[in-house]
Amino acid sequence: MRRVGIALAVVLFLGACGGGNTTNGGTSNGSPKTGGTLRVAQETEINTLDPNTSGLVVEREIYYNMYDSLLGIDAKLNFVPNLATKWSFTDPQTLVLTLRQGVKFQDGTDFNADAVKVNLERYMTSTDPAAARKSDLASVQSVDATDATTVTIHLKKADATLLAALVDRAGMMLSPTAIKQLGASLTTAPVNAGTGPFEFVEWKRDDHLTLKRNPNYWRKDSSGRALPYLDQIVYRPITDLNAILAALKTGEIDMARVVAGKDVAAVKSDSTLVYRDTPSLGYGGFELNHSAPPFNDPAKAKAVALAVDRNQILQNVGFGVGVVSYGPITSASWAFDSSEKIYDKPDPAKAKATATGFSFTLKTANVQDSIQTGQLIQAQLAKAGITVNLLPEDFGKLTLETRVQHQFDAALSGWSGRIDPDGNMYAFFHTGGSFNDGRYSNPQVDQLLEQARATTDQSKRKQLYQEAQKTIVGDGAYVFTTDPTVPQISSKKVQGFQLIPDGINRFAGVWLS
Amino acid sequence: MIEYIVRRLALMVPTAFLVTVGVFMLIHLIPGDPATVILAESYTPEAAAAIHKDLGLDRPLPQQYLIYMGKLAHGDLGTSVRNRLPVTQAIGERLPATLELGAAALLWSLLVAIPLGAIAALRRGRALDVIASGLTVAGISIPNFVLGILLILLFGLVLRLLPVGGFVALTDSPPDNLTRLILPAIALGTFGAASNMRFTRSSMVEVLGQDYIRTARAKGAGWWRVVNRHALKNALIPVVTIVGLQIGAILEGALVTETVFSWPGVGKLAVESIFSKDFPVVQGIVLMAALSYMVANLLVDLAYAWLDPRISYS
Amino acid sequence: MSTAAPTYSAVEEQPVSIEERRPAGLRELLLEHPRILVGVALLLLLVLLALLAPWIAPHDPIAVDADHARLPPGAGHLFGTDELGRDVFSRVLWGGRISLPVAFVAVGVGLTVGGLTGLVAGYRGSGTDLLLMRLIDGILAFPALILAIALVAALGPSLRNAMIAIGVVQIPIYARLTRAQVLQIKSLDFVTAARALGAGPARIIGRHMLPNLLNPLIVQVSLSAAGAMLAEATLSFLGLSAPPPTADWGFMINTGQSFLINGDWWMTVGPGLAICVAVFGFNWLGDALRDALDPRIRA
Repeated sequence: MRRVGIALAVVLFLGACGGGNTTNGGTSNGSPKTGGTLRVAQETEINTLDPNTSGLVVEREIYYNMYDSLLGIDAKLNFVPNLATKWSFTDPQTLVLTLRQGVKFQDGTDFNADAVKVNLERYMTSTDPAAARKSDLASVQSVDATDATTVTIHLKKADATLLAALVDRAGMMLSPTAIKQLGASLTTAPVNAGTGPFEFVEWKRDDHLTLKRNPNYWRKDSSGRALPYLDQIVYRPITDLNAILAALKTGEIDMARVVAGKDVAAVKSDSTLVYRDTPSLGYGGFELNHSAPPFNDPAKAKAVALAVDRNQILQNVGFGVGVVSYGPITSASWAFDSSEKIYDKPDPAKAKATATGFSFTLKTANVQDSIQTGQLIQAQLAKAGITVNLLPEDFGKLTLETRVQHQFDAALSGWSGRIDPDGNMYAFFHTGGSFNDGRYSNPQVDQLLEQARATTDQSKRKQLYQEAQKTIVGDGAYVFTTDPTVPQISSKKVQGFQLIPDGINRFAGVWLS
Repeated sequence: MIEYIVRRLALMVPTAFLVTVGVFMLIHLIPGDPATVILAESYTPEAAAAIHKDLGLDRPLPQQYLIYMGKLAHGDLGTSVRNRLPVTQAIGERLPATLELGAAALLWSLLVAIPLGAIAALRRGRALDVIASGLTVAGISIPNFVLGILLILLFGLVLRLLPVGGFVALTDSPPDNLTRLILPAIALGTFGAASNMRFTRSSMVEVLGQDYIRTARAKGAGWWRVVNRHALKNALIPVVTIVGLQIGAILEGALVTETVFSWPGVGKLAVESIFSKDFPVVQGIVLMAALSYMVANLLVDLAYAWLDPRISYS
Repeated sequence: MSTAAPTYSAVEEQPVSIEERRPAGLRELLLEHPRILVGVALLLLLVLLALLAPWIAPHDPIAVDADHARLPPGAGHLFGTDELGRDVFSRVLWGGRISLPVAFVAVGVGLTVGGLTGLVAGYRGSGTDLLLMRLIDGILAFPALILAIALVAALGPSLRNAMIAIGVVQIPIYARLTRAQVLQIKSLDFVTAARALGAGPARIIGRHMLPNLLNPLIVQVSLSAAGAMLAEATLSFLGLSAPPPTADWGFMINTGQSFLINGDWWMTVGPGLAICVAVFGFNWLGDALRDALDPRIRA
């Protein structure tokens, strides 16, 4: 193992992850060592290894280490070069990407504009019933490989959110050779299909998934040393939070990205573990159905929003981990404005005066924290003379009733969050949006959201989103309660780590001491 | 005898048929849409419709049943909705863990039941017997998940003697596997231990009252010699048949025990699949459970009949 | 559900012999088998506690008190408080109002539906018998808990559906019991004589068969109730019974389980004990009754 000076170690750390500015939660002692296996706990088992059909947050974890996407982000959510080194809108409906040169896929195929075209078109035109990237690229008309390192994307209409989409799964590049040869087995065994720091080794469902170092990874650390440092990563699905904690304590796993609020204090005081967190892009609360009684009456929606004690939920269910939510824009987002606090302290008296004496059914997932939250809300609203009936259901049924049938009064829900504020708002609150379960409709909001999509001026967009948020929250379109944090617990050996608010662990620059 | 076997087998056919219908109807009564599970956050009605078509869910129920039966005839139990694996494979991967747990539970139940039953029979009517009797009733009164949680509390958290939950394959590391096996096996097997104990005792008592035993005693043989040489073997015959019946209790108990201990077996798979609307997997497991239960019952009846000629079949 | 000592098909079909039809007088019975009194007393106590819960429970079982969550047993809270600050002891008391009725109703369903099925099957014989018993076998083919879970999942989790599901699972035992009894008595001389004299089925069943059924039925009811309670506890542990915030023993254990790792033991031990005591009571009583009334299977 080559030894590198301490000064360089710091620089290495700064340059290792995401290629951009790093300030958040990074730790580094000594100089990076090559080698070792990192064992990571996954809180649910994944369904697929193909970004085309992926729907789970947990899957993105793995993808970011196997595949690269066109753009990257840093801890402040600024776009940074990844597989694309430059990007610009030559006009509102044309996006030109300049690609990184000299990159090869793990199977030896060259990465170039043709590969980008193949991938984007695959996502856009896939006939797989579970294809999930079409809506991410809905504004794309066509893709041209202008030359080997230039891609021109023609849009149907201006769309400022496209860049954010290209950071995530819709921008992940797979080898065209692999796509052709592996076909359906991309889902279970995408051998050498990406350009990422790690290569796929094997996946034994419910047991483990193994990745190994890509010896030809294009990114180097700032001293020119090859990345990644780790030999292998092993993901293990452990669905029980208590089991994850136990495995961390016994050293069976090195890292986990979930922890129950009740265990945070114990983890922080455990000298063998390191706890980090960063505000999340996601939010939580419950949705109201505005297309049917009782919440077709806006006064009742407002009454509920007034009576909820958000801080109590944060303390009792979340054990203080996280923050009170004031809207779909969280503190991790560039569009955040901390002066916006429409519903802050609960006001049962005002709620009672606005609307009282009615009842509704609150549906929750069959998960302990949700049920606990539901019971708290029940008790809180009772103080305002509003009766809540609780109905825990399993997730599939709940999604069916809310998303498809729109048959519910209120339902506890949450959103993992997207980099662009549009991803937290448009589909949810625009009339007819695909995630607008409660059929909320306000033409002013619609206009604001559409305008925000059409311009790339960030300060203008921030203003528009703030206005939209004010109306959405004030109307009680959705009752926001608490925003989670992105936690991360690792053993003391894990170094070079950096937390990014999208909650995804990127392991290219991580090493074990 | 042969006649009996043939008749029983013949009667099994319509019952098995009824079972498939029952399972099918039951599973399809469960409301909920597997498409929501598959698509999760990326759900759109169009994608859902495509999945329904893909899974054949858009056809009328009787037709779906016939397709199902057709596949069944070829040993194809369908495909899991959650992860696109063939159901037979999904179950097959989890089966070893459940078999291991079941075997361990059975072992525990016999290890506890036979000696205790024998002792209780020998000390019949005395203090030990009464205590054992009370223990037996207690043993069948404690739900296996409560017992499991209490064991976790005591041995895992208070005494910190054993690891709690999780699973390491036997092939990977026998010691790690076995230390994690102990608590769930006890939790699952205690109910059987209690019932078996009672039965061992009563059959022992019966046997001990037999003439040939008294003869042996009259000849001066010590109690233990009598038990080991003569009584035990004959008394065990009904116990063996009882064990066969424990299969049902173990199948049921495994559901909850595996959930409590995060033991990745078929039981836990069943619970997960029920809650995630994975119809094909639930169907497959219930069908398998029902059929193996039926076969086990048949074998037990046959074994019992063969061993104990006093039972007749009109 | 599995009864205390599993009986298998061959033996079950043999009914009680006629001579032992009349049980000893009640007082002799109790004197000879004092264990019955213990069982009855225990169960009466449980029923009483459940009935009187609204008056004797120190706190409102669903009153949330977020500031006093997860307190260990101590002043004012005999069994401590749960994750929402509710008094565990009060919830345990109220829990009996869920679990005990479920047991009774489920056994009632099994008894009436199963008993009737068995009576009809045994009495009518031939085709009816074959058909009904195949249906019964169909139910028996499933391990009981799996069937109950599937039924509740299909019908939707609720207390009522839990009662129905467990009741359905109880049907086969009673069907077989009554059928066996009917079959044996049907062939006896005095029954043939009665029929020749023109006695209708109701009279024959009522006068001759039912009295013989009484003893084994009483024993079975007590044991089934134990099984039914176990089943309800398991169903509610899986979240398939009464929805929150109803105080339900199994569900309380489910929620309490995740706090074990934090050292909060009282949330599971309280309801756990309650279940064990209740089930124990039924089992004990059933055992004692069987010793007294059904000496054929005497240990």
